[in-house]
Amino acid sequence: MWSRKSAMLGSLAVAMYMLGLTLRNSQLVTIAVVIFVFLTWAALVGNHADVSASGRRAEEWTGEEGVALGSVVAMRKLSSARMFEDGELNVTLRMQNTSSLPKILEVRDRVPEVMRIKEGANYILMELGPRRETFIEYTVECPLRGFYSLGPVTVRIQDAFGLFHKEKELHVYNDFLVFPKMEDLKETFVKSRVPKIFTGAVNIRQPGPGSEFYSLREYFEGDSFRAINWSAYARSGKLMVNERERDAVSDIIIIVDSRAVAETGPVSRNALVYSTRAAASLAKYFLGRRDSVGVIVYGDEVVSVDRDTGKKQLYVILTKLAGAVARGNIPLQVVVNRILPHINKGSPIIFLSNLEDDPTIVNALRDFRARDFDVTVLSPSSLEFEFDAKRLDRTGYEVMKTERDVLIGELRGLGVNIMDWEPDMLLSTALAGARGF
Amino acid sequence: MTINKPSADTSHLYDGKTVRSAAPSRKKAAGQVGSGSEIPQDAIPKVEIPSFIESLLGGPLVPKMKFLPPDKMVQNLQIAVYGVLVALAFLTYLISPPDGTMWYILSGSLGFANIMQLVIIGGATVCGFMGTFKRDARFSLGSNVLFILAILRFASSKTSLSNDAFGFQDSPFLLAVLVVVYSVLLIMYFELSNGVIRYSMLDTSIRTNEVYVMNPKKIVSKYHRSLIINPVIATLLAWFVLSANTILPRIVGIFSSDTSLRMEESVELTSVYGVALGTLFVFITVGILFGLNLPTHLQRYREKQAE
Repeated sequence: MWSRKSAMLGSLAVAMYMLGLTLRNSQLVTIAVVIFVFLTWAALVGNHADVSASGRRAEEWTGEEGVALGSVVAMRKLSSARMFEDGELNVTLRMQNTSSLPKILEVRDRVPEVMRIKEGANYILMELGPRRETFIEYTVECPLRGFYSLGPVTVRIQDAFGLFHKEKELHVYNDFLVFPKMEDLKETFVKSRVPKIFTGAVNIRQPGPGSEFYSLREYFEGDSFRAINWSAYARSGKLMVNERERDAVSDIIIIVDSRAVAETGPVSRNALVYSTRAAASLAKYFLGRRDSVGVIVYGDEVVSVDRDTGKKQLYVILTKLAGAVARGNIPLQVVVNRILPHINKGSPIIFLSNLEDDPTIVNALRDFRARDFDVTVLSPSSLEFEFDAKRLDRTGYEVMKTERDVLIGELRGLGVNIMDWEPDMLLSTALAGARGF
Repeated sequence: MTINKPSADTSHLYDGKTVRSAAPSRKKAAGQVGSGSEIPQDAIPKVEIPSFIESLLGGPLVPKMKFLPPDKMVQNLQIAVYGVLVALAFLTYLISPPDGTMWYILSGSLGFANIMQLVIIGGATVCGFMGTFKRDARFSLGSNVLFILAILRFASSKTSLSNDAFGFQDSPFLLAVLVVVYSVLLIMYFELSNGVIRYSMLDTSIRTNEVYVMNPKKIVSKYHRSLIINPVIATLLAWFVLSANTILPRIVGIFSSDTSLRMEESVELTSVYGVALGTLFVFITVGILFGLNLPTHLQRYREKQAE
């Protein structure tokens, strides 16, 4: 391929040649001929056939057959296929020259735009000896959740003057997944009012077998002697027993708003980023106390992870959250209508949304409240993100903020535990605020 | 009577947590923006829209990268450019006498044309020095354009000199050598001044960890080798191509000495059109060889030989 430099030199030579013939000026023709010769020689020397290369995955490579594939072989290995946000990924790119001639190669391993190279480089200029291989190692930082792919590897060979080059993409791809990062929560203040059959680690504010004190009552026959509160007996003269708050597992439903509007704000600071991180943290917390957690992500479609318990469920949820893309504009009412018949009455529902651009939010949450669901809304404010990024002027901010405050007030009036989640506020603080602590 | 008010202490919420900062006060933040309602400058994302010329060329003509101080390799290249620039300026003046230049055609004054020619060559030299010293591609590009402008002459079929101190004018062979050397110097100047920018970019990229270079000595030595070998080969090949009109009669002479003699004495063949015709033959042959993918076959042959 011609570079811009060679194209300009070529054009100059053609112009001089034509002008020389027109003016019968041998001087101009001579200069043009010298430029032509220079370009021809560079094209002849720089025109390597060895870009007929191929790329393969490292695990597929068996060692011997690489020689037959072409003269340049690329393979890649990742330190991990799954990680959390802000995690680091070590990439090892193995380049082999299977030909018997040395080559000067420019190699660029394509990295997703949101990734940052932390150590090493993905763009390498190297002299690869005959039948030699080299390992290129670099570390990328993955600041945002999502499904990503590394590759292709672009190999370029050019002459010393950069006049002509040959480029080839080696289609070596490695996929990896970045989960949203999680905050350690000590308390969420979210409790179910409806017990399930199996006991768990959550107090449900009903007397029953458990560890937390609930109330005192008179002794009945059959009560355990160990439950007698001797101090109360001494005070009142009647046998009194301690009642404990019943521990039980709960069904927790987390709804994540991933509509297009959820991505309003900078790439790394928007409602969707905060919502997915919060959903991941909450899922980890609830699953850790043996609750059953279900997640619904809605945007252009309603994606749900059915309620389940255990560590496996956490990874299923994390995978869904990693793949949440801001798209579409499904109203919350549609989601509520769809899930309402399938969730147990009284289950805590945690809704993560910036509450924007959806006129059905009030009605939808009213439907939940009418059926006595315990609704908690954490609303990362897109206004704050936009305002912090200086994309919103003061007047606009104040007007929109007032509208938002009115909406939040209305929802609060329905008995929804709601918190206007501002940037830099910890999730635990936002949750405590929502629950009125 | 003691009234137990609910505690306002929320420290338990922060147990074991590192609180980076308090939630910002919206009102306070809003107050910091200023009284105007205009959109702040930094809120508008920077979008680089290529100009018409840039879009035609597929990118900026002049690199906008800021370079770090030059390393030894770049410094050596700069010195080489200075040397070539002086030689080129001298040769340009020598082989482009003022008669026939557009200044002479426009003004009809040899003195004015001479001054203009000197100004242009001087401007090209100064621009070249500045472009190389400052590593500013705009000056280098300007210098290239001025050198091309200086060599454009609208008259004479034969090469003439503005100053014949060395007596080249009497020997057509030496004159031809002079023009070829000038052409090679011109190309080498283009290449070296561009090399200063290219290697400055590379050096900056290496030092900012944007690119990693394995075995840089070998890469640099290959460039150095090319700087010597390519001009020599280009000179020899150009000489061969330009002599096609004299070589052709000798080839024909194998078959017919009369035809060969007539060709040698032909005015057309020794004129500029003869040179052009010979050149055309050579380049058509080269084009056919490229069309047959000769470089690829050559490379395969080299690889087989190396095995």
